Amino acid sequence: MAGGSGKEDLFDNILMADEKFRGEGFREGYERGTRRGFQNGRRHGASHGAKLSTEVSFYYGFATTWNCLLHNNTDPKSRKRVKALETLLDLIQNCPLDDPQSTKLQDDMEKLRSKFRQICSMLNVPTDFRDYVKTAEGTSF
Amino acid sequence: MKESLSLVQRLSAHPDSRCWFVSWSPNGTLLASCGGDKAIRIWGKEGESWVCKSVLQDGHQRTVRKVAWSPCGNYLASASFDATTCIWKKKSDEFESLTVLEGHENEVKCVAWAPSGNLLATCSRDKSVWVWEVDEEDEYECVTVVNSHTQDVKHVVWHPTQELLASASYDNNICVYKEEDDDWECRATLTGHTSTVWSLSFDATGQKLASCSDDRTVKIWRECPAESGQGDVSWKCVCTLSGYHSRTVYDVAWCHLTGALATACGDDAVRVFKEDETADPEQPVFSLAAHMAKAHSQDVNCVAWNPKEAGLLASCSDDGDIAIWRFQEED
Repeated sequence: MAGGSGKEDLFDNILMADEKFRGEGFREGYERGTRRGFQNGRRHGASHGAKLSTEVSFYYGFATTWNCLLHNNTDPKSRKRVKALETLLDLIQNCPLDDPQSTKLQDDMEKLRSKFRQICSMLNVPTDFRDYVKTAEGTSF
Repeated sequence: MKESLSLVQRLSAHPDSRCWFVSWSPNGTLLASCGGDKAIRIWGKEGESWVCKSVLQDGHQRTVRKVAWSPCGNYLASASFDATTCIWKKKSDEFESLTVLEGHENEVKCVAWAPSGNLLATCSRDKSVWVWEVDEEDEYECVTVVNSHTQDVKHVVWHPTQELLASASYDNNICVYKEEDDDWECRATLTGHTSTVWSLSFDATGQKLASCSDDRTVKIWRECPAESGQGDVSWKCVCTLSGYHSRTVYDVAWCHLTGALATACGDDAVRVFKEDETADPEQPVFSLAAHMAKAHSQDVNCVAWNPKEAGLLASCSDDGDIAIWRFQEED
């Protein structure tokens, strides 16, 4: 059986073709999928980041404006409100917005949202800024 | 020594609706009830029987879930599913709506007055707990919004002597809050219940806290010095009452006069437990002293001990009734 091994190779090529192409296909597909995944992830991250940034910037503008409006009032009620606004501005300043992977970010955002709601209540401003502000959803009993 | 519960009177408080909650005025002469009919009723004693003295309507657009008396007894707060809390002022025998507290995004589940009367706490399905400050001119201002729970907050209760607040939630946890630099912060999270915590009650001294849950147990928590020091609060579960309740335990009330612990359960029963006074305070032992199996024809939502008359207990139910019981030793 001198040519035995050659014959086997020939058959091998035919028999293994399925597996070989499957392997190549998998690799190509995997690479393409990885690229697509990165693109999607980048887009999702960008839109999520933009939303978060819109929300924080909205709070910043809101707090700055009200702070200007109330700053010169000396009555105790206005002082309390100014104090709460300053706390909100401090929270915004210390929010780790340039570090999306910060473990503090979620907690800090919750604190920001809570402070904002408290201030709206103090100022008698309705919290209907749905385009900017995240609200609780769902139903209960 | 054998104790029992005997019925004093049954009142059709919120007919064709549910009665969610009852609350005794601080001097024990009036009982406020609220229900699915959006009304609040005030009950008082005339001769030997309890009668409806007034009805507070038009305050809320939806179910009134809880009512709370201010420590002075001149104000009543009501929490409603319409997302608002109403403050009512007592004028002789009448009540007038003083102010409406808005801010919660949806259903307000509970309201409670701090012992000083200067602070009011509310909680809601929006997962937040709010603390309001009351000034001399009856003006209410929100001093904090805390989001320490991840789900619906069912109940809030104040410590009897300190400015310490506890809340119970659908997330199975209990949070304890204290004021810190003008803001209120969650200082301890009590984990242990395996389902919704429905209600909380402090004992007379405030050293112990009882909690009741959808997991059919009642847990007793005790304040202990935190390991980290630094004045942090820490609470440890020292006792679990299990095997007594066959359904959700909706409410728990600690009598500040006798130390008896009453529960309201979804199996239509009212139970009273007594603490074994000889046991080690670190490992308290409770025993079932009385069990009224068919206290109501449906779920019992609330139990409340009269603050002045020892052993007088009010309960209310989905059947719309209030029942007033006397807990005493049998002859």
